[in-house]
Amino acid sequence: MNWFFADAPRERLAAVRILIGTWAFVYLAARSVEFFKVASLGAPHFEPVGVTRILGGPLPVSVAMITLGASLVLLVLFVLGVGYRVVGPLAAVGVLWSTTYRTSWGMVFHTDNLLVLHMIALAFAPAAHAFALAKPPTRPARAGYGWALKLLVALTAATYVIAGIAKLRLGGLGWLDGEVLRNHIALDNLRKAVLGDWLAPLATLFLAHPGAFTIFSVMSLALELGAPIALVGGKPARLWAVGAWSFHLGVVLLMNIWFVYPLTGVAFAALLPVERPVGRIVSRLRSILRT
Amino acid sequence: MAHDPAVTRARIAAGVFSVGLLVATLSPLARDPKARKSDGYPLSTFPMFAEKRATKLTITYALGDAPSGARTLTPALVGTGEVLQARAMFETALAGGPRRIAELCAQIATRVAADGDYADVTAIRIVTGTHDAVDYLIDGKHGPEKLRGQCEVKR
Repeated sequence: MNWFFADAPRERLAAVRILIGTWAFVYLAARSVEFFKVASLGAPHFEPVGVTRILGGPLPVSVAMITLGASLVLLVLFVLGVGYRVVGPLAAVGVLWSTTYRTSWGMVFHTDNLLVLHMIALAFAPAAHAFALAKPPTRPARAGYGWALKLLVALTAATYVIAGIAKLRLGGLGWLDGEVLRNHIALDNLRKAVLGDWLAPLATLFLAHPGAFTIFSVMSLALELGAPIALVGGKPARLWAVGAWSFHLGVVLLMNIWFVYPLTGVAFAALLPVERPVGRIVSRLRSILRT
Repeated sequence: MAHDPAVTRARIAAGVFSVGLLVATLSPLARDPKARKSDGYPLSTFPMFAEKRATKLTITYALGDAPSGARTLTPALVGTGEVLQARAMFETALAGGPRRIAELCAQIATRVAADGDYADVTAIRIVTGTHDAVDYLIDGKHGPEKLRGQCEVKR
């Protein structure tokens, strides 16, 4: 229990709020054209999942775009730390709704799940006690700030562990021989070839020399099932984060699938002393705004 | 500090919230990842790349007929920026019957007509192809393709 509540600087949690909130804003804004396209597909293509199951059919495109716009506005306030007790949960709901609506058109994506979980965790954490426009509280959060950072790391680890367990449940220990991974990579690139997308740059090279897939399979599973080591903190956690980042880079090179949240490193921000660089940027912005 | 009742209450609240969110995140482990529709969002079984699969794939897609031969069409021409969503759109149209295929074909033809990079494409064919992924990617061997629908690109 003491381990979970071991304190951490309030600035670190606030910096993580800024990084994840900014990332979510940029991501949703960059996806707005794509969001508009899928929101325009019409009822035959609408397959609600998660929270969008409350809908009887797709929203009018204008309403869908308004919800996306509202989510973006909330994210700006989230990053600024304004009215956080209300804005935090609303921004998390906005990201949950927007990403769920985008994935409710026949294909459940797996690239945004961790972002949503992190937003929910941050929404109910004292993440606006520093680096915020609102006046900082006179006394620190009673439960401290470390628990929220540990929760973010635990959520990250949990998603990787679930993915590893799914491989063992579906593929058994045979998953480790490399054939399952090789076949998935071949199939994924075939889909891209016939559906007009870019092939992954190293796919054909490795498919022609399949021996390496055994190594890739063992490393992938070790990384996923070993994710809880990130909770230890320090060097083991940072090494795991580097491994996870490399794993996602490998997925890009072999499958051209971009898990952008971990690839940018933001998914691992809670493991790092991010308050220093973020603090410098915040100070710089404040001095610019004063002049 | 640790004996302050307010601190204890705050820690209990934070602990309950954390355990609740973690249990929810791990709850997909109670579902069968094999079962179709068992996946959810954002609470996922993360079944991707886990199941044993053969390298043969049957998939529906569109081709643009040009004098130089059949051209593949980007997901944007199908109506989405995502390749997997494009695949889902073809599957939905196929399940909806010839009328839905014709509708999708017409929509693609309209986008192709407006895209200068595809000025040589005169017709769209929606086909279901069965290919061996390794043969297709390494040796360029294509499997059979069954025609599902076709339409003209009107300019």
